Amino acid sequence: MSEPVVDIRGLHVRFGEVEAVAGIDVQAHAGQATALLGRNGAGKSTTMRVLAGLVPPTAGSVRVGGLDMRTHNLEIKQISGYCPDVGGLVPRATPWEHLQLSARLRRLDDWEDRARDLLERFELGDVAHRVTGGFSHGMGRRLSVVLAALHEPRLLLLDEPFDGVDPIGVEATMDVIADARARGACILVSTHLRELAIQACTDVTVLRGGSRVATVDSAEMAGEEGARAYRALLD
Amino acid sequence: MPTGLSSTSAPTSQAYASPGLVPAARRAVEDVGHLLRFRTATVRRRRALPTAFAAMGGITLAVCTLPALFPGAHEDGRARDVLLLMPTMFAAFFVLTVVSGVSSGGGRELLARDQGVTFPVSPTTDHLGALLLAPLNVAWLLQAWVILGSAAFALGPAHAFPAMVAIVLWLVACTAMAQVLAWTMEAIRRRSYGRLAVRTIVAACALAFGVVHVTGRLTDLLDNLPTVWLVARTTQGFGSAWLGGLAFEVVVIVVAVVLGAVPAHLAARRPPRDEARLESGHYTPRRMSRTVVGTIVSIDRASVWRSVPMRRGITVLGVGPGLVAILGSMTWASATILPGLVASGGALLFGVNAWCLDGRGLLWRESLPARPDQVFAARAIVLAEFVLVATMVTLALAAVRAGLPTPAELTAIAMLVAVVTVQVLAAAMRWSAQRPFPVDMRSARATPAPPGVMIGYSSRLALSTTFTGLFFSFLARADDWRLAILFAVPLLAWSTYRLHRARLVWLDPVQRARVVLAVAA
Repeated sequence: MSEPVVDIRGLHVRFGEVEAVAGIDVQAHAGQATALLGRNGAGKSTTMRVLAGLVPPTAGSVRVGGLDMRTHNLEIKQISGYCPDVGGLVPRATPWEHLQLSARLRRLDDWEDRARDLLERFELGDVAHRVTGGFSHGMGRRLSVVLAALHEPRLLLLDEPFDGVDPIGVEATMDVIADARARGACILVSTHLRELAIQACTDVTVLRGGSRVATVDSAEMAGEEGARAYRALLD
Repeated sequence: MPTGLSSTSAPTSQAYASPGLVPAARRAVEDVGHLLRFRTATVRRRRALPTAFAAMGGITLAVCTLPALFPGAHEDGRARDVLLLMPTMFAAFFVLTVVSGVSSGGGRELLARDQGVTFPVSPTTDHLGALLLAPLNVAWLLQAWVILGSAAFALGPAHAFPAMVAIVLWLVACTAMAQVLAWTMEAIRRRSYGRLAVRTIVAACALAFGVVHVTGRLTDLLDNLPTVWLVARTTQGFGSAWLGGLAFEVVVIVVAVVLGAVPAHLAARRPPRDEARLESGHYTPRRMSRTVVGTIVSIDRASVWRSVPMRRGITVLGVGPGLVAILGSMTWASATILPGLVASGGALLFGVNAWCLDGRGLLWRESLPARPDQVFAARAIVLAEFVLVATMVTLALAAVRAGLPTPAELTAIAMLVAVVTVQVLAAAMRWSAQRPFPVDMRSARATPAPPGVMIGYSSRLALSTTFTGLFFSFLARADDWRLAILFAVPLLAWSTYRLHRARLVWLDPVQRARVVLAVAA
């Protein structure tokens, strides 16, 4: 198998006395969509934040596209797109201004047509020039996915992208994940919605108490049987 | 299984019935206590609270006693002049509290709107909380201390105590009356055409004041202020007149506190139009800057100028001291006190928690491939230009009366503006990294940090910039204009070094992550 796009080994993240991540190992490959499942506080969002370059690892190794997160933080940010779990939008800037900033910092040319297309697909075209402070939760989530996907990143990090999103938004997000897989990107989706995770992803990694407890094919987590297996992993 | 009541069932509980006025008021007062305890419990450095209160109490005690022991206290010369100014000081304090309350949309909140949305906090509780928090403001405290200290100096140790009691009651009365006006203006502002109405009222007040000043009737007005009556009764020592003054103040306090709940309820029933207008407005896309820092500055600038508290704050901050300079006929040498205070005020509008501009969007911002030094530079540039805009407005207004400056005055003012801007910038960026707070700056009532922390920040900024202003006031009177440049260079170098150290904190990935997670919490 080819070199993994995401290669996390022995990741520990501590905030003071709290150990948010306690030795996680995750590998994810190009063209693969991996769901991170687990209860609240399992370490999903912290792991995503480490991969997005926001939180430095306390211990362990994190490599993205063969680059070490400690030494190539900026290069990794160039090739990744991140949808944070909460908010993720500058309250007094418009969606278009968000897109402009992302495009400028990533040196994108001719990005406007793709940006407009994404906004339309996520039904945000009408509000492209309104500040995001007045957006509903679902609109904010949808825009965060648009921002993460704009530059067709090699690594797409979606943290709770379905949370509070209407069916059209869920469908558009599924399309973004499918498109990314088709062009060979690596996708990590953190969510607590098991059914949607199974639908969107090829693999499922279950986290508990800051550690990885299992990585299985998403089909194994489907249906009643899968739900029982998932609950057993959480307990 | 519990089920809902049918239309024919008698209600078994009165829990949801609307209480009467008196029980509702009692409940509102009790809720203030609950919220205060909640706020106190969430203070990060609770051990510092007794020290802070002891320090404020100590300063107040010193201000009330020490001036009475100064040479010339309670004598005919300077002390008498100070006594004659007391009615004006009383009135100025009232104006200050009104401006503060109106510009902050009804005053500070015991519980921020987004945090309090799930709790049944009544507008009466909100009104009482705003009253309690009003003194936790350095402008309020400084003015109060100036009045108390002046009274102690003017009246001497024998007569100061009864006057102090009356003055403290006057400060409370002013705050309560200002609160009534602030809620009333906010209720008007939230009606259809309310913004226009408020602007018309403010313009009419400014025009009336301007007419009085231009026609030379200002002194007559000040001599006939209603506060003259009050000062005359409260400074004569114990007696029936003093008691009458006190009774009047108590009545005003009680009436204003009760009355304030009415416009507070009226305002709470209507959505804030200023915020809604900014959030639902259409913003024409602008061309992107050619540079990375320029693009970041552009989005940061939008975050500042589309915020209601910052727009209102900068207007009051720029125009207010400028008008004081005009009315007080300030010379350039004495106007050197203004840039530091205005710059400090500008930083206190958002700069002391500069990263809160992005709110939870900081999580996404930090995932972008921008160098941390560029992000820091952009934020510092936006804060500096924000502070400079206010300073320039103030100085432009001050120039109306001060006229053309001499070379020494011009150099001193220019150097002073540069020094205090970098001084304030360094302090604000340092505090932003040291103590970040998750704050939603949408509301006109929002402040970038909790009230107690804001007091600490504002005191330190006011102290350092006032000293710098006084120093340059001396330099403005010097014969050689080059002196100001000579002294400005080391001060600029020191502040730049402190700014550089704040930048180093931001460049550290661990420290940066701490700030980002705290702001986005």
